[in-house]
Amino acid sequence: MVDMETSEPIRRGLTARQAGLVGCVRCGTVHRRGTKECRTCGARLHSRDRMSLQHVWAWWFAGLFVYIPANLLPMLRTEILGRTVDSTIIGGVIEFIAHGDYFVGIVVLLASVAIPVGKFIAVAYLALSVQFGLKIRKHRRHVLFEVVEFIGRWSMVDVFVVALTAALVQLGFVISIVPGLGAVCFALSVAFTMLSAQSFDTRAIWDRIEEQDQT
Amino acid sequence: MTDTDLDRLIACPTCDLLHEVAPVEPGYKARCRRCHTVLIAPRRQSMDVAIALAVTTTVLMIGAVSFPFLSMSQSGLQKSTSILGMVAIFDHGLMIVAGAFVAMMVIALPLVRALALIYTLLPLRLGRKPAPGAKRVFLFAQWLLPWAMTEIFIVGTMVALVKLMGLASVSFGPAFWLYCILVVVVAFKDASVCKWSTWKLLNQSAAA
Ligand SMILES: [Zn+2]
Ligand SMILES: [Zn+2]
Repeated sequence: MVDMETSEPIRRGLTARQAGLVGCVRCGTVHRRGTKECRTCGARLHSRDRMSLQHVWAWWFAGLFVYIPANLLPMLRTEILGRTVDSTIIGGVIEFIAHGDYFVGIVVLLASVAIPVGKFIAVAYLALSVQFGLKIRKHRRHVLFEVVEFIGRWSMVDVFVVALTAALVQLGFVISIVPGLGAVCFALSVAFTMLSAQSFDTRAIWDRIEEQDQT
Repeated sequence: MTDTDLDRLIACPTCDLLHEVAPVEPGYKARCRRCHTVLIAPRRQSMDVAIALAVTTTVLMIGAVSFPFLSMSQSGLQKSTSILGMVAIFDHGLMIVAGAFVAMMVIALPLVRALALIYTLLPLRLGRKPAPGAKRVFLFAQWLLPWAMTEIFIVGTMVALVKLMGLASVSFGPAFWLYCILVVVVAFKDASVCKWSTWKLLNQSAAA
């Protein structure tokens, strides 16, 4: 039921940009090039968002900037009989492993070190591959963005653990545990890297793959 | 090409590849040929189900905030804390920032997303014109998706429990069970909404 004019770009496997059109990233509606606002959902249209990479890098640096103190400052401050013990992320992990709590140790290590560091590297790699046209394999790209989009937010689990631990222990027992400034920095770092990933115009990554397939 | 011609096309939001819009049977999903992003996924009685699940989410959240979440007992003393009590731990200086984060991700945003869905869909279900600003509300709810962290909070609870197990005996309050049900209901609610179909409906009823 599609006339020649609209079926042609589909048959040739074109993107909206290659067909001289603009697709809405929020709802998928297709517009003529030069349209400012989506007629379906009202979102602003960009054939490719030129500001996207700048936003990605801005949030990326903000995230990295607070991730450093998140590792150096205490996540938890424990008081036992007047004695204060500060524990950082790494210090906490070492303590768990030493006590034989491998499950907690590994969850905290994954959520607070492996996932955030992996996310910084993945976002930087994707952004650079778009900026400088680095070669990037289709499968690898897919895995990378999956990591960034779906796994990145799981880092927040550590902030919830700190909050719950402190809330429970503060119910008035001999020891008291309060969250440290490290927890604030860590929460901010996760939020900034999530904003960095959300600013990414993923279509730009697929454009690069298309160019390589054709050459 | 006119707008009507262009309405026969859909561009993948993730990779920009053009597809022809074809009727999709309820329960089936149309995915992008290149990157496999779900483009169209209509459901049977989708609006009734989505509204019902959004209302359930709201009720469960009110319950989860009102009742004790966890209780801890040590040498005969038993005390319990609610989710709000946990947020209140971050009570001074920069800590308030972290407290606000936890409150948003665990309580406020899942609730806002459920209410936004009711606000968007209920007038359509009743055959009325969309509520004022319905498009913006629906867009915002989509954007908020990764920021509502109900399932991550439950995993955090498990880790905190294992961590404190040696210290005292910890038991679950009613709010914990309500929150677990909420995690499942939210997942079904999010899966019940087909963005493409909802946008079409929003535009049809705005024009009618
Ligand atoms: Zn749109
Ligand atoms: Zn695609």
